[in-house]
Amino acid sequence: MTANLRRRKWFSRFFEILCGLAVVIALIPLAMILFYVIKEGAGALNWDFFTKMPKPVGESGGGMANAIVGTLILIGIAALFAVPVGGICGIHLAEYPGTKFSSVVRFAADVLNGVPSIVVGIFAYGILVLPVKRFSAIAGGVALGLLMVPIVVRTTEELIRLVPGGLREGALALGATRSRAVFGVILPAALPGILTGILVALARVAGETAPLLFTAFNNRFWSTSLTQPIASLTVQVFTYAISPYDDWHRQAWAGAFLLVMIILTLSIAARFAVRRLERMNRS
Amino acid sequence: MKKLFLAAFVLAATVASAQTVQINGAGATFPNPIYSKWFDEYHKVHPNVEINYQPIGSGGGIRQLSAGTVFFGASDGPMTNEQITGAGFRILHVPTVLGGVVPVYNIPEVSAELRFTGKVLADIFLGKITKWDDAGIRSLNPGVSLPNVDITVVHRSDGSGTSYIWCDYLSKVSPDFKKTVGVATSVNWPTGVGAKGNEGVAGLVRQTPGSIGYVELIYALQNKISYGSVQSSDGEFVRASTETVSNAAAVAAKNMPKDFRVSITNAPGHDVYPISSFTWLLLQESPKDVARSRIMVDFARWAISGGQGFAPQLGYAPLPKEVVALELEALNRVKQ
Repeated sequence: MTANLRRRKWFSRFFEILCGLAVVIALIPLAMILFYVIKEGAGALNWDFFTKMPKPVGESGGGMANAIVGTLILIGIAALFAVPVGGICGIHLAEYPGTKFSSVVRFAADVLNGVPSIVVGIFAYGILVLPVKRFSAIAGGVALGLLMVPIVVRTTEELIRLVPGGLREGALALGATRSRAVFGVILPAALPGILTGILVALARVAGETAPLLFTAFNNRFWSTSLTQPIASLTVQVFTYAISPYDDWHRQAWAGAFLLVMIILTLSIAARFAVRRLERMNRS
Repeated sequence: MKKLFLAAFVLAATVASAQTVQINGAGATFPNPIYSKWFDEYHKVHPNVEINYQPIGSGGGIRQLSAGTVFFGASDGPMTNEQITGAGFRILHVPTVLGGVVPVYNIPEVSAELRFTGKVLADIFLGKITKWDDAGIRSLNPGVSLPNVDITVVHRSDGSGTSYIWCDYLSKVSPDFKKTVGVATSVNWPTGVGAKGNEGVAGLVRQTPGSIGYVELIYALQNKISYGSVQSSDGEFVRASTETVSNAAAVAAKNMPKDFRVSITNAPGHDVYPISSFTWLLLQESPKDVARSRIMVDFARWAISGGQGFAPQLGYAPLPKEVVALELEALNRVKQ
């Protein structure tokens, strides 16, 4: 009996260690990426990087001011496009989970989530660039927005479901109509959750390059016009990284570092929002 | 809050676009160092004009110009007749500067400058010569101890005018190359690895010991990559420089075709670099947008006159005077 127990304890120990090892292996790439990007990128960051414009090819110095603002504008357009569409879809899925229409929507969202981003880019090129004969920030933003929609839909749905059932029942018991209960009680309670969905989706698309190459194109100048090509951090990093110039490599690392920081901040913000919702759920 | 932020952006955007004119162009990577310099300088003199040039390759430039998504294009291989018909509108080829395509190599064991003939280069890029100590290379370079190392061929993966010039030359000197590879901005390479853009080839050669590639001269100079001399049609071994490329242009200037679509590779004469070429700005002859057309013509006039001063320091050869005169006349044809 004791021998059996000892064997089982040993067995359990063995698998515990194995699990721990798997976690470490999974974390190594992340740690290495962070370490490498910080090591190469943090030192390359300077004030010029944030405030100056790119220099002509092969000249040292300059910065990515236009690309930083470009990325902010692009994900702004993407959010403006994806939040209403994805949010409303998500609310519908959470409120009417069992209907046939809901399962179709859910399936469509999952399929869209799996579409490669370059395909979304070509699609946006076909419908937004070729007909108007111009590369534009809008085309790039919408391409990113299309990638955001499925993530917003699914996270909104999941997180609305986290709202305690008692809240809904309470509202209905007090005589509120269903729409009143949804918009007056459940939605405010789930707002941090919806916000999380948006932040996660933003973090996902902020790092995209492929859908921008043939939609937002790139711009060497300062441009905030929505109907003109616009620079973005990812495309700039791509261009600089494949160049043979050392100073451009340095700036590419700085750009990569900034991108990782933006995405890390968005992800951490998303985590805090979820935690608040969970706390509320418990009380 | 976010909406407010965006509304402010939209407002700022409309204000900004009312003041500045933006013109978009795309094409060759070969002249990108001087084009970006030119557009930068032109912007300094005309602060309200922003000419946004994106080096996506000659092939891509021709395609986007034909699709109408950019206002002007740029290429180092003249557009073919089919490409012009396909575009559906008249296009003016404006030669801007001349450049030389040089064979760049990375052999850590060799510090001497190598000599090549067109035939040997063709055989390397056909995959027939696979070792650096091949008899063909050795006989051209007596006194250089070449290592017994495999040659890694690096070529362009995108539609490229540099490829066009390179293939144009190799096809002239090697019937074999003409038959198996031919001349185009995109060709089927029998061997080697691809890299995107001149900068991509330069970067890959720099990182790969035993490799050979081809780039515009400035990319070799800026990155301190070794490049070899090439035997001209007069039998001399000529190293690419602004002078030897200019010499190739001088020959072409005497019998320039009206549409400026001319190949000057393997030109005859003393001290002529054989892999030289014009690079062209592609302008629409009668575009709808007259205001932008006026700016582009003004820019082109400046580029081929005052702008030529930037050429030598960036490794390009300035245009011969006779050609500039012909071009100024041709630019009058553009609707503005």
